[in-house]
Amino acid sequence: MKRQTILSVLISTIILCASADPVMAYVLLSPRRRWATTPITVRVYTTGNSTITDGSGGVNATVSAIRAWGIISSSTTSSAAVRGSAPATIMLNTNGGICSSTCLAATLTGYYVSQSGDDRIYDADVYTNQAYQYYSSGESGCSSEFDIDSIMVHEVGHVIGIGHSNVSGATMYPSISACNTAPRSLASDDFAARDDLY
Amino acid sequence: MTRRTLSLVLLLMVSALPLSASQFVDMQFDQLARGAKLIVRGTVVDTFSAWDDNREVIWTYATIRVHRYFGETTGPDTLVVRNAGGIVDGYMQEAIGFPVLRRGEDLVLMLADDGGHLVLHAYNQGKLLVQRRGAIEVLVSDPVRQGEARPQLTPRFGEAATNAVDDSPAMTIDEFSAMVDDARAGFRPTILRQQQ
Repeated sequence: MKRQTILSVLISTIILCASADPVMAYVLLSPRRRWATTPITVRVYTTGNSTITDGSGGVNATVSAIRAWGIISSSTTSSAAVRGSAPATIMLNTNGGICSSTCLAATLTGYYVSQSGDDRIYDADVYTNQAYQYYSSGESGCSSEFDIDSIMVHEVGHVIGIGHSNVSGATMYPSISACNTAPRSLASDDFAARDDLY
Repeated sequence: MTRRTLSLVLLLMVSALPLSASQFVDMQFDQLARGAKLIVRGTVVDTFSAWDDNREVIWTYATIRVHRYFGETTGPDTLVVRNAGGIVDGYMQEAIGFPVLRRGEDLVLMLADDGGHLVLHAYNQGKLLVQRRGAIEVLVSDPVRQGEARPQLTPRFGEAATNAVDDSPAMTIDEFSAMVDDARAGFRPTILRQQQ
């Protein structure tokens, strides 16, 4: 191949790469919103999920897993979620009346709308659909079940103000398959979203 | 368009969106169509939001003026659909990733009965926007969910919205109607049969 042809191909490739859309990264919830202070308190209701057989119904696994965010102060609570009031509470034993049918888990978040673009999150609670089968890091083996650790690390991403990411491999990537435990570990994209907000 | 092509379009309509499988499990079209109590085309003419009796959840009630019922069902000219999330006295409650019903939207809805309230069947899968592409009306999935910004207008609950035209995968309303009839008659799309 002539040197001129190689050069043309090379230049064309560079131009194409430069003009291509940038890779989409994390997305923050819109409008942008955050909790006023860190660490953010997240409680896990002591009654766990009946399909998880790790001894606590996934409660202890969830308390531990969501600390991956690094700005979460997590513990168990015997008080069920009170919507509209902090602290953020994860309910593994109920769908909260909002998460049924094809819904696996739902985060219900609340904030006062400001005109300054500086919205504060006042509450966020997570609910779990009891119609599906889950398992936790406290169990061994998986058979077509959904990993509660991964789901809750993802949902707590919503709790702190992060939306879905287009980066495959990120915890906030909007797709998870049964028995997939990879979202338990945050990717650099997830950390970037967190650091953008806090 | 053949049934196989229609199935591919449906597949594309779904795959063109970020699948919120961490929150939702996708349902096949024939399951959707058979499981829906009502399937309608209509316009959102009004919305209002209110706390429930326990002041725990803000629900948005969307009044739908029905233009057409699909399948063998029929019903009133106006329906009220309840959806989690909304804004009351400046306090916004959002179910992240859930669908939004906005005033002014022209859409096709698959509806289920939830404790006496009509709701979107299978959440986002139960809502399709009607768009005009040239002389043809097509159905597309709504790419924007609760907690996400809508490009261009960014309307919030209750604000007027328009169905912006785009080039995402779509199917015509007649094709959709045929798919509903087939599903309710017990036929499964060819592509799905082949996968079994």
